[in-house]
Amino acid sequence: MKLSLNWIKDYVKLPDDMDLTRLAYDLTMSTVEVEGCERLSERFEKIIVGEIKEVLPHPNADKLRICKVDIGEGEIKDIVCGGSNLEVGMKVVVACPGAMVRWHGEGEPVEIKNAKLRGVPSFGMICAAVEVGLADLFPVNDDHEIMDLTAFDAPAGTPLAVALDLDDIILEIDNKSMTNRPDLWGHYGIAREISALYDLPLVEFEKYVPTTTEKYDVRILDAERCPRYIGARIEGLGVKPSPFQMQTRIWRVGMRPINALVDITNYVMLATGQPTHVFDSNHIIDHIEVRRASEGEALGLLNDKQLKLCTDDLVIADSEGAVALAGVMGGAKDSVLPETTSVILEVANFESRGVRRTALRYDNRTEASSRYEKAVDPERCDQALSLAMKLFAELYPEMNVTAFNDQYLGKLEEKEIDVDFEWLDRRLGMRIPQEIVARKLGALGFKVTFTEKGMHIVVPSWRSTGDVSIKADIMEEVARMYGYENFKATSITTTFDGAINQLEVDLVRKIKEYLAFRCNMQEIFTYPWMSDECVNAIFPTTDGILALATPPSPNERYVKCSLLPNICRAIVKNERNFDSFDIFEEAQIFLDSDYTQNYKGESLPCQRKHLGCAFVGASDRVAELFRYAKGVIGAMPSYTHMESFTFEKNEKPYWADDVVWQNIMLNGKKIGDIALLSKKSALACGIKVLSAILVELDMDALVPFKSRTNRYTRLPEFPTNEFDISFLVDSMTTWNQIYDAIMGKKNELLQDVKFVEEYKGKQIPEGKKSITIKLIIGSAEKTLTSQEIEAVANSVMKKLSKLLSADVRTV
Amino acid sequence: MKERLEALLEEGVAKIKSAKTEAELQEVKTQLLGKNGSITELLKEIPKLDVSLRPEMGKAVNAVKAQLTELIETTREELKLKASQIAPDFDCTLPGIEPKIGGLHPITQMCYDLNDAFRSMGFEVFSGPEITSEYYAFDNLNFPPNHPARESMDTYWLEGHDKGEANEKLCLRPHLTGDSVRYMQTHKPPYRFVYPGRVYRNETTDARHERAFFQYEALIVDKDFTYTAGKVMIKSILSKVFGRDVPVRMRAGFFPFVEPGFEIDMGCLVCNGKGCSVCKHVGWIEIMPGGTPHPNVLRSAGLDPDEYTGFYVNIGLDRLVMMRYGVDDVRLFHSTDLRFLKQFR
Repeated sequence: MKLSLNWIKDYVKLPDDMDLTRLAYDLTMSTVEVEGCERLSERFEKIIVGEIKEVLPHPNADKLRICKVDIGEGEIKDIVCGGSNLEVGMKVVVACPGAMVRWHGEGEPVEIKNAKLRGVPSFGMICAAVEVGLADLFPVNDDHEIMDLTAFDAPAGTPLAVALDLDDIILEIDNKSMTNRPDLWGHYGIAREISALYDLPLVEFEKYVPTTTEKYDVRILDAERCPRYIGARIEGLGVKPSPFQMQTRIWRVGMRPINALVDITNYVMLATGQPTHVFDSNHIIDHIEVRRASEGEALGLLNDKQLKLCTDDLVIADSEGAVALAGVMGGAKDSVLPETTSVILEVANFESRGVRRTALRYDNRTEASSRYEKAVDPERCDQALSLAMKLFAELYPEMNVTAFNDQYLGKLEEKEIDVDFEWLDRRLGMRIPQEIVARKLGALGFKVTFTEKGMHIVVPSWRSTGDVSIKADIMEEVARMYGYENFKATSITTTFDGAINQLEVDLVRKIKEYLAFRCNMQEIFTYPWMSDECVNAIFPTTDGILALATPPSPNERYVKCSLLPNICRAIVKNERNFDSFDIFEEAQIFLDSDYTQNYKGESLPCQRKHLGCAFVGASDRVAELFRYAKGVIGAMPSYTHMESFTFEKNEKPYWADDVVWQNIMLNGKKIGDIALLSKKSALACGIKVLSAILVELDMDALVPFKSRTNRYTRLPEFPTNEFDISFLVDSMTTWNQIYDAIMGKKNELLQDVKFVEEYKGKQIPEGKKSITIKLIIGSAEKTLTSQEIEAVANSVMKKLSKLLSADVRTV
Repeated sequence: MKERLEALLEEGVAKIKSAKTEAELQEVKTQLLGKNGSITELLKEIPKLDVSLRPEMGKAVNAVKAQLTELIETTREELKLKASQIAPDFDCTLPGIEPKIGGLHPITQMCYDLNDAFRSMGFEVFSGPEITSEYYAFDNLNFPPNHPARESMDTYWLEGHDKGEANEKLCLRPHLTGDSVRYMQTHKPPYRFVYPGRVYRNETTDARHERAFFQYEALIVDKDFTYTAGKVMIKSILSKVFGRDVPVRMRAGFFPFVEPGFEIDMGCLVCNGKGCSVCKHVGWIEIMPGGTPHPNVLRSAGLDPDEYTGFYVNIGLDRLVMMRYGVDDVRLFHSTDLRFLKQFR
């Protein structure tokens, strides 16, 4: 919102030497964020009034003229100009060298320099209104017209800003910083804050007392949505431009002057924050009623939108139908027309939420609706009415109010709050003198009565629509007016009762750091919604998957029930730039099942923290990728200090390859899967080239150790020996079978067995594979002889040939 | 002859010492002690000498021969140790082979930095469910019934759960503050905890707006906590994150779940408060909202607001990370693009 400092000065007398930087800073610290502070005259530096003394033809151009222009104190300059309305005696806008203007009103401002135009030297430039940013105030009939200042009482040489009385400061307020303060959406509200900040008197509005006894027929049919409606018929008017001073004020704060009647309503809104409206009274049939629209009721708005309304919309109607969308915009039919001579002035209060719904429904937010949305108090109608009537009387001395009605059905209750000083002092951390508290609150409109231990406060109507209701609000008022910066910082007091020990929180971090820093994987974040194609690729059905009522896009309605669909999408995205990468994500998943009841009957769906990983590489590396992924996941428990898990083949995931998959098991329960993404699922997701081993793990099922549990093993006193064996077995024989065969009922000197390599190919018969293993053989009591070692190896070989029909090749 | 021997010795020692490689040394050896070497030649001349001189000269020449032989051998050992293990054309200016490095998401990094800072001040870390009921999203946070954020344009309601009572309506959490109530309902005061997490808003996205973004909230609830202590807390946190003292100011602001509420600004680190385009020439950057928990929020946690008060801040992690690294598009965080993510180590 933009504010004119001159306008604010109508309501609070600011000292002439007021430091503007200070004012902007104080308002920002205590009330609203001042985003900008512009001295309006700076836009018009080196731009002055000139008077054309002579108009001569240009020797080299038909459309250009050479003007002899008086630029003050009799100094005459030659200025080349192509204006279509140049005349001797005309007062024009001269941009002197150094001034900034916008050529033809377009692009960035450029600096004017002395230049030759078609061979003729020209001092500066005679400007069109659009070139100095004043097109709204000086409308033109054709594009070549230059701005005409003849009507202004300003001699040649007068700076333009002075001639037009534009010496003003424009404050730009961040709208977001005052959504909770409906009272601040006009100059008067900010003036009140300034008056309280600096202890300056605030001008009051005089209450308007109607002179007519004729009641204008106003019927409020929904008092909840319309607590108050003032209708006044004013005659003896006419459409004309409003006074220049009024026009510039409206223009300075960002609106466009239209005509006197419309300008009055906008001026009143900008001054008080209370929207008002005028209807051409000749087009209002019989009476005005405020009612809900009927389903499908048609209304054409001022901006030519044709609406089909619904019963939630509140309309202003006459006996024939809707004439305006209450609080949002007037209708086309009853707007002010060139021949309008009498109007119905509307000063009304509408319920905030309804106005907001309607404005959003038709994507039609306006200056009025955005103010009503903040919950304007109905008492403010009095101020708006007073100012509007004053302006009508000033602009139309012969005007006459011929009928009036103030229907005030929903009177606002002023809030009352008790605050005791002991509490206030404790919260503020200091005592602020009562005299200051009373003065500041009083200036803001609060009625304060001191009691023995505290004060009784009546909140003013303009702060009673939800803004101030409890004593913490009063504390805030006191603190911000006293100045937040005037409180001394205090240290945090604390009681120490033990170190923080959060095993689950730590485990998640350990796992992520393990994956990122030990296993060199990259963490990614994805949205909680999934694309349909990836969901369908990973799941046989969408049953049990939650969906959004208003999804970000039509094919992203399902909410994460697994991390894999979005991880697949990330693979698609990165496949273009990398041919090998490992990624992981930790996030919550949601299932439309296992609802848990909570406090106050809240029932929440199953939500669990999951870990998803992808190990991605060329498809000829699948075997290696799988073993690497399994190594990363398998080693995770020992690096992160939690109960370890095992890998079993129990239940194949839908998305998994037929051969390359295992379930991750913890204490006999499946907590995740590790598998190669099947070709079919990969293609359905859009993965074109690479193969991916995917892992998904339920992190909430993991069990952290209370402390590190690795134990020290004494170093062996006698050497251990390694002994490699290679043998042929059936190619379907698994490592689990081999391991069990060797380690079941084993020789006590055999300490461990390790897988070395697997080989299929030349020299190996079809249907067989060669396995090399490493036996670890040793004794705690003595150094073994080579015969003893060979004996252990031989017993292993015997077991292998007996149990697995292995054919030992080399020793 | 004696003089010649002495000259040969001197010359021989110099030649051996000047040898730079084993091959050069071998060459020197041949010149001195080889079949036609200078010392060998000298030995050959001894029989031609007068008999009386022969033994003495023979001894002297042999002594020189032995001395040179030894010097050659020790020099050979030295040259062997000095020699490179690799061909001399090895190029040391080739770039190093970097370890393969993964990494945490830059927002996780920032989150962990903050966790460390808060933990050191005795805060617990808490996280709540991302799907919540309207009750926890709005009602017990003092959002008035007509608050615009409740409408579907701002909140992702779940299909089939978007109508009914507040405890039946479910949505993706629009902010974290509801989680604080969950914590307080299940723990005993005083409280001192942080609750980082992702929140969701149904908005149009652009370089500065996202539908999913990260917040980091911290809450202290205790008896007689003044808001001025909150300022100390914020200052220590920001100094930790940015590695230097950061000026902080608190000014009037409004959020439904705090009273009084503040906008908390930090001094612009780009211009040190002088004013630049990053801070829109005001020298301050809005970094987080904060304030005293609203009495209704404390009440919904089962606390007496006359007895308890506290301080709360909500740090926008995305924004903080963007400032830390100069990232100019918030959507990159959820892009899953490794070209972006791999930059943060």
